[in-house]
Amino acid sequence: MNTVELLSMSAPRLAMGALITVKFAVAAMVFGLLLGAVVAVMSISTDRLLPACARAYVSVMRGTPLLVQMFVVYYGLPDLGISLDPTSAGILTLTLNAGAYLSESMRGAILGVGRGQWSAAHSLGLSHYQTLRYVVGPQALRLAVPSLGNTLISLVKDTSLVSVITVTELLRSSQEIIAATYQPLPLYIAAALIYWVLSTVLSAVQHHVEGRLTLQTR
Amino acid sequence: MIKLNKVSKWYGNFQVLSDCSTEIQKGEVVVVCGPSGSGKSTLIKTINGLEAYQQGEVHVDGVHVGHSHKELAALRARLSMVFQHFELFPHLSILDNLTLAQIKVLGRNRADAEAKGLKLLARVGLKEQAAKYPGQLSGGQQQRVAIARALSMDPKAILFDEPTSALDPEMVNEVLDVMVELAKEGMTMVCVTHEMGFARKVASRVIFMDKGNIVEDRRKEDFFNSPHSERAKDFLAKIIH
Repeated sequence: MNTVELLSMSAPRLAMGALITVKFAVAAMVFGLLLGAVVAVMSISTDRLLPACARAYVSVMRGTPLLVQMFVVYYGLPDLGISLDPTSAGILTLTLNAGAYLSESMRGAILGVGRGQWSAAHSLGLSHYQTLRYVVGPQALRLAVPSLGNTLISLVKDTSLVSVITVTELLRSSQEIIAATYQPLPLYIAAALIYWVLSTVLSAVQHHVEGRLTLQTR
Repeated sequence: MIKLNKVSKWYGNFQVLSDCSTEIQKGEVVVVCGPSGSGKSTLIKTINGLEAYQQGEVHVDGVHVGHSHKELAALRARLSMVFQHFELFPHLSILDNLTLAQIKVLGRNRADAEAKGLKLLARVGLKEQAAKYPGQLSGGQQQRVAIARALSMDPKAILFDEPTSALDPEMVNEVLDVMVELAKEGMTMVCVTHEMGFARKVASRVIFMDKGNIVEDRRKEDFFNSPHSERAKDFLAKIIH
């Protein structure tokens, strides 16, 4: 079988795998951004306990390998009576991991908005959360987009790790085809290309969002 | 209506305010001056709770400005502030800058808030700029918007923290003119400023500060004609050529 035949035969399965990869990436992005926002707000709270919790969470998630986290959630948690199916375990782990990085981007961006904006909002009677919501948050978002985009692109590629907990996403689909055809090079390159396309699309989205957010202030 | 009683504040071991006491009546225009680092800005920021203090008391309209967040928010809505660096919200249009707090803090509906905002913009001569963003305006225009924003809350008093210090010289007057007009209409104002011309024209009193102390707190005529302290004499000699 030549390479062209091989790839056209494998295309449906690779597409299926890519779809699942996208599903994991999108779910972890949505939940990760929400989680990241909550953790970022906790980390700049004036309360004592909340920033400490946020720091501990970020430290653990950034300081341990995603692969190990995946194993802990999927193979470890059942010991505590928490058994998750591969999809939930994968999305949960990716969310927890990405949430930590995203929260740091957001925290940095919030701190990047000048103290004067807080003072001005407070002087008008806006509360801490109103100031975050209407004044500092929208400005921080603009500052955060490049770094959020960076993390989200990494996330797309990190989804390949859910293949180790039996999810047949893009990487595992190609491995399964390889097991039957013994032709690793074209299939791994095909998988790599699909990851590249997905990342490139995301990076185009990032540029579009950046462009729109800057337009509003100028 | 504003009363400071022996207010003291430290940054670590460094005392920025020591035993500052004064009282400001409704309708008064008080100019706070003094060398840089003397605690002027810190002093007026204790009035609306933007700066915490460790000793003494601040009362505004009988409300103690302390640590209760609820009271602080209510107080701040009645006591507006204009900042050295304008601090307009750069992601909002000029009109939205004026309506945000009216809607979120005072609970006005959008139509009323916009009507009020446009009226105030007209008053500072910037009605045509309503749809623009702060970055598109000159410094002087931005500061006039900031004053309009302060007025949009119907404040009982306005605190000015060096409102003209960050402006190019040719823009100082357009801002001072608005402030003079406000003063003439009877607005209670506390202004940290080096603009002695403004002080001479509209101030009722001048507070002179040095090293965290209120050194002089006197009627403007007395302060300018016969300052008591050497430090105030020095300061006036340097600032008025």
